[in-house]
Amino acid sequence: MNKREIKELILKSLDPETDTSSFPEKIGNSGSHFSFGSDFAGKVLGRIGSAQQTSIVRDIEFLRGLNSAFYRIALTGVAAIIILLISIFISEGSLSLNSFLGMGNNVDETIICLLTGN
Amino acid sequence: MIRESYRSVDDDELVRSSVEGDRFAFGEIVRRYQNMVARTVKGMLGDAVFAEDIGQEVFIKLYHSLPEFRGEAKLSTYIQKIAINLTLNELKRRKRFFSMFSQKGNNEMHEYDIPDQEHEKRNEASEVVNKALLQLDPKFRIIVMMRLLQGYSTKETAEILELPLGTVLSRLSRAQEQLKDILEKL
Repeated sequence: MNKREIKELILKSLDPETDTSSFPEKIGNSGSHFSFGSDFAGKVLGRIGSAQQTSIVRDIEFLRGLNSAFYRIALTGVAAIIILLISIFISEGSLSLNSFLGMGNNVDETIICLLTGN
Repeated sequence: MIRESYRSVDDDELVRSSVEGDRFAFGEIVRRYQNMVARTVKGMLGDAVFAEDIGQEVFIKLYHSLPEFRGEAKLSTYIQKIAINLTLNELKRRKRFFSMFSQKGNNEMHEYDIPDQEHEKRNEASEVVNKALLQLDPKFRIIVMMRLLQGYSTKETAEILELPLGTVLSRLSRAQEQLKDILEKL
């Protein structure tokens, strides 16, 4: 297909009444090839595979990070609880419920004193 | 990545197998539709090196969206829509990018394309098709690409582009005016 014929074909494709179903083949036969390089499918599947691997690695790293963060928070929490228990025991002399609530033996009277003023 | 036994399998079966994780089935889908996507992407963007990257993106997007593909439209139409959307996004991205460095209009965009090795081997007919398409306004280019390179009817073009038929017809008429001027100079 020469230059003039290809120009005519292009303009003909713009006529709404023209059936263009054979045009891609004619364009292909004219030497105008629209195609991707060799092993295109392999490259696509390779990119999909590597994206999936990256995603899996990202998930594993996230879970590892979460696990390590959990241990750090849990250990810090346990240490805080132990320090709190020791401080309560030292200040209140026992680890009873009243001690936990900050109401030692003298607390009731102190509250009555505060409320009544006597 | 392509298994010969899939050559005779229909699209619906290939989609089902791909969704179940069969990479060979998806490889066959890529093999079947890669030329259709190449015509869309290269017809719109020119024969540039990154056109193949966009082509790969089309199939990667297809792979991830296959579980949502309900089979109401043909697989080829579904792929065509993805290809058109990604190509138009790329054109917008390039327009924004080049507008930062150049005061030139949209029609000059193709001058920045990086030709691949095949560019040198192009024949005269190929040059005419490429130059004519790339000098057209993108909204006319897409209509010409659909008719000339994909062979769609005006009705199919309107359906795929989700445009009213009247809009497609008026764009065809305006594209014809533009193309006459462009082709005279080639």
